[in-house]
Amino acid sequence: MIVKSVVLPLRPDAAFDLFTQRINDWWPPDRRHTRDPESEIFLLASGRFFERARDGQEAELGHVRSWNPPHLIVLDFFIATGPEHPTEVEIAFSPSGEGAAVTVTHRPKPSSESLWPERSPRYAPNWEAVLTGLSKAACLS
Amino acid sequence: MHVLDALGNPVRRAILQELRAGPRAVGDIAAGLPVSRPAVSRHLRVLEDAGLVQAREQGARNLYSIRMQGFASVREFVDDFWDTALARLEELARQ
Repeated sequence: MIVKSVVLPLRPDAAFDLFTQRINDWWPPDRRHTRDPESEIFLLASGRFFERARDGQEAELGHVRSWNPPHLIVLDFFIATGPEHPTEVEIAFSPSGEGAAVTVTHRPKPSSESLWPERSPRYAPNWEAVLTGLSKAACLS
Repeated sequence: MHVLDALGNPVRRAILQELRAGPRAVGDIAAGLPVSRPAVSRHLRVLEDAGLVQAREQGARNLYSIRMQGFASVREFVDDFWDTALARLEELARQ
């Protein structure tokens, strides 16, 4: 599990709007799924979470499971593991002094657990267990 | 191509098993598998793109070996992604 937090000089409702409505401005440009650095990303209350390149190509980045402004968003996250093995992201907005703490908790789901070793496999005594785990997660034929 | 897509193919998993013992040339890998040498080359290219194997030239041929870093990618990718994203969010909020 990964937990990251940042305190913004905004009220929680403004922090929630910044996170959702200006996602294009904070999403790292070199992490665009469509490889178009000027693609648009949409995170919508309707449930859709996707990216649209300038040529119109769209890619689903995940799915909104819970939309509870200005407190919490829960996402199924497809990036890095694909839609068959989503991970889960919780974004919590809470008052912190004069501002708002935005806390991201990112964890595997049962189907993506084997892709998410708590310890980096490069330090594992051998990589066979890693390969076996990854192969099980990848669609076995 | 992502690690999982690359691993979602039995021939590619078999190639990785072959490489467990150490670096091998394309011909040696193909000799141990029921697929043609050009097919092995294509699969190796996919594995290389996914960061799971690396090639190094030895004389006229390439030797392929496992690239351990490739297997750590999901957690590391996500960790790095949120570090960058939240730093950008903070910068945006201060504007």
